[in-house]
Amino acid sequence: MTAQLFELMLKAAGYTVVISAASIAIGLVIGILVCAAKLSPRPWLRWPASLFVSFFRGVPLLVQLLLIYNLLPAIGLTVPSIVAALIGLSLCTAAYQAENLRGGFQSVPRGLLEAADMAGLSPWQQFSRIRAPIALRLTVPALVNEAILILKASSLISVVGVIELTRTAQNLAASTYEPLLFYSVAGGLYLAINWLVAAGGSLTERALRRGRLA
Amino acid sequence: MSFDGSVILAALPAILSGLTVTLGIWVAATVLGIALGFVVAALRHFGPRPLGLSLRLVVEVLRGTPFLIQIFLLYFGGPFVGISLDPVPAGLLGLSVYAAAYFSEIFRAGFAAVPRGHVEAAQCVGLSQAQIVRRILIPEMTMLVLPQCVNMAVILVKETAVLSIIAVPEATAVISALGSQQYAFVESLFLLAIIYWGLVEACGRAGSALETRLSKFRFA
Amino acid sequence: MNKRFFVQITLGLGLAMTVPSLAQAQDALARVKAAGTLKVGTETAFAPFDFIDATGQHAGFNVDAFAEVGKELGVKIQWVELPWEGVLPGLEAGQFNMVAGPATITKARVERYRFLSPVAEATVAILRRAKDDTIKTPQDIAGKTVGAGKATAQLAQLKTFSATLPKPVEPREYPGFNEAYADLAAGRIVAVANSLPNIAFVASKQPNVFAVVQPPFGQKSYFGYIGTKKPDDQPLLDAVQAALVKIKADGRMKKLQEKWFGTSFETPDVAPEPSF
Repeated sequence: MTAQLFELMLKAAGYTVVISAASIAIGLVIGILVCAAKLSPRPWLRWPASLFVSFFRGVPLLVQLLLIYNLLPAIGLTVPSIVAALIGLSLCTAAYQAENLRGGFQSVPRGLLEAADMAGLSPWQQFSRIRAPIALRLTVPALVNEAILILKASSLISVVGVIELTRTAQNLAASTYEPLLFYSVAGGLYLAINWLVAAGGSLTERALRRGRLA
Repeated sequence: MSFDGSVILAALPAILSGLTVTLGIWVAATVLGIALGFVVAALRHFGPRPLGLSLRLVVEVLRGTPFLIQIFLLYFGGPFVGISLDPVPAGLLGLSVYAAAYFSEIFRAGFAAVPRGHVEAAQCVGLSQAQIVRRILIPEMTMLVLPQCVNMAVILVKETAVLSIIAVPEATAVISALGSQQYAFVESLFLLAIIYWGLVEACGRAGSALETRLSKFRFA
Repeated sequence: MNKRFFVQITLGLGLAMTVPSLAQAQDALARVKAAGTLKVGTETAFAPFDFIDATGQHAGFNVDAFAEVGKELGVKIQWVELPWEGVLPGLEAGQFNMVAGPATITKARVERYRFLSPVAEATVAILRRAKDDTIKTPQDIAGKTVGAGKATAQLAQLKTFSATLPKPVEPREYPGFNEAYADLAAGRIVAVANSLPNIAFVASKQPNVFAVVQPPFGQKSYFGYIGTKKPDDQPLLDAVQAALVKIKADGRMKKLQEKWFGTSFETPDVAPEPSF
């Protein structure tokens, strides 16, 4: 492989990272809203949220992406490739992140909340001082896991025309007829990215455990 | 684009055969993945340190790279190192090993969550290591790991779709080929969405039911 | 409850899809000229028509041919790169004006799409391993496993040819031809059936691994660029068609064919009635 082609693979890896990071961030915001809706006492908030989670976890991402890219134009919404990819990845990860967050919130010990109640903390104070920090700390490992899953799943967005790392490997494999070489390099790059993400996650966990937030 | 259900009806036998392949590989890979994952977790927990470290490396590589790339290298690269498997066995092996990496991490966390005191007590009354695993660790951690195992099974059913790249005639391959041959793009998308959604929902409900039934065994 | 909601969504989308899109003031040609760009969908893992070259650039016959078309129309070409299975759905969804590809001109496709002037021959031939001398003629694949892309015209040709052999071949279907080439190199299949321009290019790039079995076995067929049959698109497609015919008449097409296929083809100006 020439240095030029390796550079191309590196750029594609960068693209994979940027799109995945953006999706994770957008997905976290949507995930928080969906989680709040799912924990809400109001059924008209709860069941659309449940349907959202069920749909985006149940339907393969590949199918979601094609539905967004090829069916939205039929109702007058033509979305460019990159937007379709971002929507698909964000909604998919939002469903998973909502579930992770819900798990985190439900693991906050009841005793702590009762104690906070007794101490006269307002519901907002209980949320911002007790529930959110503890749930956040409990969900950091799941968030890191989810980031790695999305980095890997982002290889599917080539079906809507976004040229990311896996697609670049496929393209170069197709023009050089050396598929094993390019797939191996792509695998190595994914591994490097994911190790960095995992290392970042451990550092964050340690910082959180040291107790500035909780 | 309009919706024409007759295309689906006409191709029903092919779709069902694809679905059978998907289900077969999914169930087999999940079972094999759980078994192999348990062995890996146990070896990492009880085995010698060098073995544990090398297993950890393998697990990290398997979890850190997309399944698509793993299965591609196994199937197309395998023959160059003497492993020439047909599509279905290659798919089953690849998916089982991929699953085992994830399951082993779930079980490792499960082992760690069993209170040390229980294990020490068992050692004191003279239980062997095999007895400790069978009588203490497995029953105590089952409840803890069950939801994550169900979650993993759900991820695996969607990963089976990747196997079309090595020419396994599973549901996604069959249905998307139907879509391109008959230009039934919309129909095939909806069919894929419904089939996988159904499988995932069914798996989730079965998991919850199992959780309820097993909850009487909750220890920790 | 979930089910009922899904049914409603399905029906809603279905209805929306049957409603023709609102009439636009201008046709596709006027819009492309106004924007100054022609959007073309294609698959970049399809050498020598479209591929990513050694410098990482999108190159190939299509890039050069559309550059000429762009000159004739006075517009720039914007490429939308998709895996092949996404290209025709993308065209129907209106994500781009037309498709490069190109695709083999077949009866079923002509019914659904408008093909422009053929740009190359698409007749199917056999690719084998360079060191495998058991396959000397196309008939030698009888009773063996042969790969092709799933849902392709080439696969259909392989199956038709197989029926004429003493022992039928066992076709193996891949998501694309590149996976089939990889499996041929790995030794699981003895041959890949694909159009001559493609496999000739493969063999020229990796002469130690692959070789072409002459002559082609399939019925004579052509590759063409594709547009929809929507009335709105027709003025644009007429203009591209006229540009292609002009490029053929003044010898530019011949030069491009020689550059990318190592040979030139006599291709008719208008897509002929396909034989299959």
